[in-house]
Order: sequence, then structure tokens, then C-alpha cells
Amino acid sequence: MASSTKNIFQYRELIAALAWKNIVIRYKQAYLGILWAVLKPLMLMMIFTLVRSFVGIESGDVPYPILTFAALLPWVFFQESASEGVNSVTSNAALIKKIYFPREVFPLTAMATKLVELAISFVILAGMMVYYKMMPTIYAFWVPAIVFYTMIVALTISFFGAALNVYYRDVSQALPVALSLLMYGSPVIYPLSLVHKKLIVEQAAGEWSERLYTLYTLNPMAGIIDAFQNVMLKGLPPDFDTLYPGAILTIVILPFSYWYFKRAENWFADVI
Amino acid sequence: MPIIEVNYLTKEYQLGHLTSLKETALNTLRRLTFRPVQKREQFKALDNINFHIEEGEVVGIIGHNGAGKSTLLKHLANISKPTKGEVIVRGSVAPLIEVGAGVNPELTGRENIFLNAAILGIPKKIVRQKLDEIIDFSNLEQFIDTPVKRYSSGMTVKLGFSIATSMDADILIIDEVLAVGDLAFQRKCFDRMEDMIKRQGKTVLLVSHNIRQVQRLCSRVILLDHGQIDTDGEPKTVCDMFYEKNDREIKTNIDHAQSSAIGSGEIELVDIHFLDQLGHRVNCLTYDQNCSIHFRIHVLQELENVTFGFGFHTTDFLYLTTHNSEEQLSISTIPPGNHEISCQVNRLPLLPGIYSIRFGITAGQAAGTIFYGESLKHFQVIGKIPITIRDGFFALDANWCSDNIKDCQMIDFNSKETQKL
Repeated sequence: MASSTKNIFQYRELIAALAWKNIVIRYKQAYLGILWAVLKPLMLMMIFTLVRSFVGIESGDVPYPILTFAALLPWVFFQESASEGVNSVTSNAALIKKIYFPREVFPLTAMATKLVELAISFVILAGMMVYYKMMPTIYAFWVPAIVFYTMIVALTISFFGAALNVYYRDVSQALPVALSLLMYGSPVIYPLSLVHKKLIVEQAAGEWSERLYTLYTLNPMAGIIDAFQNVMLKGLPPDFDTLYPGAILTIVILPFSYWYFKRAENWFADVI
Repeated sequence: MPIIEVNYLTKEYQLGHLTSLKETALNTLRRLTFRPVQKREQFKALDNINFHIEEGEVVGIIGHNGAGKSTLLKHLANISKPTKGEVIVRGSVAPLIEVGAGVNPELTGRENIFLNAAILGIPKKIVRQKLDEIIDFSNLEQFIDTPVKRYSSGMTVKLGFSIATSMDADILIIDEVLAVGDLAFQRKCFDRMEDMIKRQGKTVLLVSHNIRQVQRLCSRVILLDHGQIDTDGEPKTVCDMFYEKNDREIKTNIDHAQSSAIGSGEIELVDIHFLDQLGHRVNCLTYDQNCSIHFRIHVLQELENVTFGFGFHTTDFLYLTTHNSEEQLSISTIPPGNHEISCQVNRLPLLPGIYSIRFGITAGQAAGTIFYGESLKHFQVIGKIPITIRDGFFALDANWCSDNIKDCQMIDFNSKETQKL
């Protein structure tokens, strides 16, 4: 891990150059340019708001559109970093066969690219906060830490997935399906408070309720989304009770994921 | 300490396509239950390679297709990992394995310079300093802000080469890159490489099929054969050996190969054979000896005003010489049937090697071609040649002399006697 961090520092210029290339290429001939990047969370927000008007989802004292947009921000960032990260090695086959640099540069580049798009989404969020007359509090300083944690989670998936994808392209096919399933298992459409209310307060699943809630929070994105909404919209600190199960899971898996990636890296050029 | 050390390097590839998920799962199950796993055939691309390269050496790597040259370079550039053995490289490597590997068609030339430099690990600061030099070398000033997708393929390669050679690495790895661009640019690349080798004293590894180029640039040549080192040593010795090997291979190939001949059908070539100066039928000709070449033809209908011509060419179709019967043999008519014509060659000037014959016949007032064929017969020229005419295809009948250097002797090669001037 230490050597990895050193590598990141050493190859920061390369990562920056590759990420810049990704962004430039994607939007070069598009009139709206990088604005397309924020289209996805905006569209989803509108659809969810529309759906909510039929089914009715409690959103507490925060207006639903901004609550779901604040959930979509970390979610879309995570989802896109993970899926781009998984494809990043195979889509750079030409480079891998021709030149050497540590291969973790590719998943990291995918993430750096998405980080730029996240930054633009933040501008939209700020605009909405102005519209709803919400002032950021001191707790907004938690945001960098939350984003960093999201990156770690996405990298955990990217490293393992990207390496496996070199051998079995099934991974890149299965991942979008798995990720969209995971979205329904994360508090994106509905707030976490709703899950908490059902399971902990109302004990809806009887004696399994507590365990089910822990299982739910094993998904790191549950804690992340909730924490993001807390610090940005509600003026509250992150809820560590919902964060730690997912964090433990991530910390346990990340070394394995990275180890697998580094081990598989040796054969990328031969197999890809 | 050598800058590159290759110890017992072996690289195996599995033959056949990748295993499916199912097969992998089955194999894992077999391994867990201690049953034999299904193994696939292995192919040894490199087989126990050992060599050391000192700093400043310029090493050429030659060998036939599939001998393992590119695989070896990939290991030196750290792209592939050995199955067995180790590769130690002490210094930074600039791999020119394929120029323009990182060139992106959507970006402009200038943007690509920065991107490729980053890929090659050149710091941004240095690129900014060298930007003008790179653009200047590539001859692309006019197009540097145009997306590369609008470039011709030659322009793309020029750009790639310019970027790659601007990298300040200890070791340069070059794989067939000089065969790019137009002649003028090739010349420029060659000069830049020579500059890097001879003046900057860099360590260079060069893979090429252009043996003449390798012989000229390198101080040492490694000949690979089926993944093993066949010879490692002096460029001249190794290259000669490679030529010899190639000649033999070409000869065995062509003995079976069909030559291509076109004709109007009025005439057929039956046979070509050689006679040496004593009149014996031979397959090999001897340098500097008289010989004759006999063409046996079968004429199907009467022909008028017939002219014959033949020529020697190399196996890669470099036409060396031709000879025409026009002014030596005047044939007004040839009746149908078998005929033999021959051409006497005095003191064959071809240097030892493999050559081939082309032959053509014209007829009629308009001298229309009624038969023409190339590579009709391959033959070897043998014989001892003096050191003065080592290179090339022909011996030049020439003598050196000097008027004002004292203590100078003229040597008569033929009589092997020295005369005091």
C-alpha cells in the first residue's frame, strides 16, 4: 500500500495528463461540452421526483429534489468511477502492450476523470441550495473526507474488477447490472432515515430487524450517502453508526483487491 | 556493473485460446481434489537466454520471424514478466517499441506531444523546454494544432518518433522504427539515432530486419533462433552467419516454389541450366570464373525477329544486370520445335550469395514480349573473394595507387607478388 501511494505521487503527472485526455476526448466535438457530465444526476433527480409524486416518500424537512440530488452526487461518482475503473485496463490495451508504468494508473485515472465531473455537479448542488435557501454549515468541511472514502470504495471494486476483466470480459458485462441493483440497495431514491424507521423503530422484520439493518449498512454507499446529506443539507455531523460496518468491510477487502491486481498485472500484456 | 543483465530468461506462452470461466472453475475444483488438471500446450518464446550489456554498448538483435526478438525487448522494457529467470535493468528505459502507441487521434499534435511525453515519463517542464525542438524535428509546424485524425499515417509516425527520441533515457529500445516516413525523414531519424549512439554514448538495443543497418550501427549483435541465442559477438561475424543461414533457407524454399512466368503461349521455357568453364553441368556458379547459361525453349509456331534477354536479380528483386541478344544474335525466323540458346558469361563478377534469373523473349517487328519470367532459377555463387571487395554484389575491377606517399607498396593481388614502387 505504501509503495502504491508513492507510485501515485510519482505518476501524478501521468494520471493528470491521461485524465485530461479522457475529458477532452469525450467532450471535444460536443457543443455542450462537459455539461453533459451533470446530465445524468439531473435527469435521475427529475425522474425520482416525478415517481415520488405518485408513491410518496418521506423526506423529512429537506425538500425531496435536493435530498435525492445530494444522494445522486456521491452515488453517480461511485458508480461511474467503479465501472470506468473496471474497464480502464482493457480499454487501454494498446498502451499496456507497448509501454510500462504501474498499471494502477488506469483505475486511478478513471477516478480522476470522474472527480472533475463531480466538481461540476457540486456547482449544480450549490445552485439548488441557493434556490432552496439552505446555508452550508461548518460540517460541510467533512465533504473532502467523504469523497475520499468514496474513492477508496470505488477503487476496491476497480482493482479487483479491472484485473479480472482482463481474463474474463464477463465482468464488464455484469457490473452495470450489479451496480444498478446496488442503487436500489442504497438510500438514493429514499432516505436512510426511512430504512432506520422501518427496521429499528418499527422492528418491521421482527427479531431480524437489527441484523438486517447492519447488513444494509455493510454497503459502504449507505453510510456515504447519508453522511453526505447530513453534512451538506442538514447541518449535522456524519452518522458513524451507519458508516462503520461498510468501512470495516472496505478496509478488509481493499488489500486483497489491490494484491490481486498487482499479481495479475504481470500477465496483462500477455493476456489482454 | 552491466546496465542490463538477463539471466536464464525463459518465457512460455500457452497455446490456444483463453480458458472459459467454466473450465477455470473445473480446474480449480480438480486442484482442490488433487486430481490432475487439464493443461494446455506451452510454447517457449524465449528459452534460457543469458547475456549482459555494458553501458554504452549498441546491441543489435536479429533473427527470423518468431525468433523471440520482440518478446525479448518486451521483457527489457518491463512490459512482460519472465516465466523463469530474471531481467535486471539499471537505468531508465525509453521504449520505442512502436512509435505513436499513445498518440490519440482526437487530440491535436501539440496536445499529443504533452500526453505522450507524460506516458513516456518526461516531466512537463522539460517538454515545455523541448517543445520547439520536437515540433521542428517532426516537420509539422503547420499542422501542429490540427487533430491527429486529420494527419496522414506518415505524419503520425513522424510525430511519435519526434516525441520518443526527445526522451532523455539511459537505454533506448528500438524495434523496427526506422522503416517509417519518407526517405528524407528516415535519413533524419537515422542521423538522430547515430547521434545518440555515437555522441551521447547511450546504451541502445536495436531490433531490425535490415541487417545492413544493424551491421552499420551496432558494436555487437545477438542472433536469436527459436527463442535461443544462436550467436553473440562481432556484428560482421554474426551478420554473415545470418545471411548464410537465410541464403540456405531461401534456397530450400525456392526449390519448391513456382516461378512466375507470363507468355503468349507461342513459346515455352523448358529448362535453364548452367555449365562451368569445363562444360560440366553445375548448380553453383563460381565467382570470377567463366560459365554459360543455357535456355531450352519449345517453339509452338514459327516466330520472326526474335530477341532474347536475361538478367540476374537478388532474391528480393533488386535487378542487378541484364543482357540482351539484340546486337549479338540476329534471328529472322525460328521454326517450331525444341531449341537451345546459350549465353557465355566471362569471369562472373557476382559476389558469393544467392541470386536468381529472369528471362524474356520478344518477337515480331514491334518487338512484343511473348515470354517473360522472374525468379526462374535460383542459384548460389560460391568462391573465395579478396578482402578488398567484401561488400556489395559486384566486384569492381580497380586498383589503388599513390604518387607521393613514400614507403608505399603496390601489391598485385593476382600474382601475390609485391613490387617496390
